[in-house]
Amino acid sequence: MKPSVTARTDVERMRGEELIRLARVLNIPIFKRTIKRSWLIDELMKELEKRDELSVPPVILESPAIILKKVSKRFGKKTAVRSLDLEVNPGEIVGLVGPNGAGKTTTLRMLTGIIRTTSGFIQVNGHDLKKEPILAKQRVGYIPEKPTCYPSLTAREYVMFTARIYGVPQETALIRMREFVDLFQFDEFIDSYVGTLSKGNLQRALLIGIFSREPPFVLALDEPIYGLDPRGAWNLKKLLRQLRDTGSAILISTHILEVAADLCDRFVIMNEGDIVGRGSYDQLRKQHPEAANLEEIFLNLTGGIPE
Amino acid sequence: MSTYKLMKNEIRMLYNQFKQTITTPSMLLFYGVSFFGVFFVSSVITGLVSFSPILFNFGDLLEDTISAPMIYAATAVFSASSVVSGYFGLGPAAVLTIDDENLMMSAPVKPHQIFLSRYIRRIVRKISFLTLGILAILPLLVSASLLFYSTVFLVIVIIIFLETNYFLGALSSYVRLWISQRTKRRIRHLMVVVLGVLVLLPAHPYLLSRFTALYVAPSNAFALFLIESTGIFAQGESPLYGVILLVIGFTICLLLTANITGYEHYEIYSATRGREETEGRFSRIIHGEVDFSRSRLNDPMLWIMLKDFWSRLRSPMQIWKYIYAVFGTAFVIYLNTIRPAWFPSVTIPPRLAFAVVPAFILMLILFIQMASVTSMLSFVDERENVYMLKASPFRTSDIVLSKYLLSLIEVAIAVIPACGFLIYFIQVGGYLSVVTLAIPLTILFTATGTAVGAYVPVFTNDPKTLPVPLAFSFPIINLGLGALLVLLVAFYSDSVLVLVILPLYTLSLVYCFLAASVHALDTYK
Repeated sequence: MKPSVTARTDVERMRGEELIRLARVLNIPIFKRTIKRSWLIDELMKELEKRDELSVPPVILESPAIILKKVSKRFGKKTAVRSLDLEVNPGEIVGLVGPNGAGKTTTLRMLTGIIRTTSGFIQVNGHDLKKEPILAKQRVGYIPEKPTCYPSLTAREYVMFTARIYGVPQETALIRMREFVDLFQFDEFIDSYVGTLSKGNLQRALLIGIFSREPPFVLALDEPIYGLDPRGAWNLKKLLRQLRDTGSAILISTHILEVAADLCDRFVIMNEGDIVGRGSYDQLRKQHPEAANLEEIFLNLTGGIPE
Repeated sequence: MSTYKLMKNEIRMLYNQFKQTITTPSMLLFYGVSFFGVFFVSSVITGLVSFSPILFNFGDLLEDTISAPMIYAATAVFSASSVVSGYFGLGPAAVLTIDDENLMMSAPVKPHQIFLSRYIRRIVRKISFLTLGILAILPLLVSASLLFYSTVFLVIVIIIFLETNYFLGALSSYVRLWISQRTKRRIRHLMVVVLGVLVLLPAHPYLLSRFTALYVAPSNAFALFLIESTGIFAQGESPLYGVILLVIGFTICLLLTANITGYEHYEIYSATRGREETEGRFSRIIHGEVDFSRSRLNDPMLWIMLKDFWSRLRSPMQIWKYIYAVFGTAFVIYLNTIRPAWFPSVTIPPRLAFAVVPAFILMLILFIQMASVTSMLSFVDERENVYMLKASPFRTSDIVLSKYLLSLIEVAIAVIPACGFLIYFIQVGGYLSVVTLAIPLTILFTATGTAVGAYVPVFTNDPKTLPVPLAFSFPIINLGLGALLVLLVAFYSDSVLVLVILPLYTLSLVYCFLAASVHALDTYK
């Protein structure tokens, strides 16, 4: 596979000060007090093309990218997740759906290494999460159910910090940040302190932080649409489909069935820590011929349709 | 990912906080008033009293009343208490935050890197605030003939000692974790006694006189520094030996703590947060054990007070506080009425008689200040529920007044034993100080605390986290107001005017602080 190439349009959409910063990162000498934007972009493109030729081929995720085998999690006497088996392949969006307290968030927290399994085995992109946590987490992007971030950083500082954590070259982070700032219409807030952002804008900042890294991703998204306005939600869904098509593996936890039905290729339905149903929409319909839609399948599997 | 980059990010956050403070007029004004206010008050105090003779005689007093091994024992007991309390604590997980959980724990970063970076931020912040505090009381230092740099040096050494104790506590917590992974038998908790004794042993005079190597123990190194730098029981060694040994101990403990910080601490942190969420929930209190619908009381203020009372009672610390209040009060009443021979008051040498009153006043202010921290937390403990409270059909003034009144009761019950003991122990003569100082200071400091707590959501988007600068300004404001009150009482002590001025000063300030609290609640973001 060929190395990724930086498109000129990606550089052209950058603001003046971002171009200057990019020039500094790429060690392009700027001696004149005033310079033409087109000249700077030309210089930047020359340097970026040189670097693109030297860059390593894009990463391809292991298949399956996510493996959970007989995973259980107990909190004291309560079992939050019981003997869960789950696989997500690259190029697939899997919806983890279930009522409140079903164990969806616990599953995502185990997958991202925040909490440990009581028993069972988790592998991310071919790496055992217990034995090689750093390698396993390298491709993971996580959006928590209640998004929070360091309040004393500006959104721009946060994105660049995230890029550093994941070892993304600064030039790539700068170019990709602008792309996603535009996509999520975040320009107004990029230099605001994270602590002053509303929930929806904080969600956008976290998403930009993830997507400023280079794909493919192993995404663990906990209610990612919740908090976004309709345009933001639409953009995110479009982006997730694009990422799926380019080889990312995506696990979305949600109890908004419209989102799941609209976005996911497969569903895993959880109830009280157990998997009570799984398969594509068509497979689930075949298993439950009496149900008219996903909502009724879900209700059937999680305690029955209320009278 | 290098630890350096994480540390750089932490420093960047601190810098941003500083930048936010100096570019937000209200915050700048608040801290400016706090800083220059204290500077002014300390200048006024030093104009009236010279602390140099007090300090000069303090060494003699100590040499007359205690012995050198007692200093070693005291620092060892301090370390032992850290080890014992640390055993039941979170260890390195205590530095983790919700932001770390959501961002860093899922990132390709090792736990010890998060710990070290968070720790660096904590230490830089601590030193910065302490330096500012020392600058604010510079006139007092000059009056006591203390040099600024030597005071800063002393404070830094104290910080190193305290931080070393924090690490000892973290290591002790790891021991509990390690044992708990291997056995669930209750006898395992006897280990805390063993650890406590292990920390106390190096201070034993017999061992210390025979094994010089025991000075490496942080408590001994710190005691050595104190002894040699103050000249009390000094043996002519350089205090630098103490500092060097302490720094060695600190470094070893820091590296050991970083080394034991592992992924299990993510788990510990997450578990604690889960418990906090379920225990602290406002709705659970209302729908739980306390049934407000059956209450005969129809006053919203009383409902809020009852809610707060029951919420606080869920914490074991609160129960201990009430036990302390009951037994402590009974004990000080017994002391002050019976004056038992087996527990005599302290005998002050005649040459130090002049120092009794300032020492008494200072300790009284500090005791009441410590007790009044509860009032500062009355709004902070509400967490996000403060917005629910604000949206409830209660008047803002009712909310503030209910918080103030309950805090006043809480502060008062904590103050009574401490002040009763102080009055008995130091024997300032009569109980007038209770009326002229203890009661007004309690009323006033509770109002200050309520106001400072109420301003948390104004200064930050996170109502549950008390910003360090705000918490830091609380004792400074109280110290200033306490000193002014003492001055007023001293000036008008021979005049009947004191009967007007004292209540006027106290109540008008209380009114101002409560009005400020109402204003704060009305300007929440």
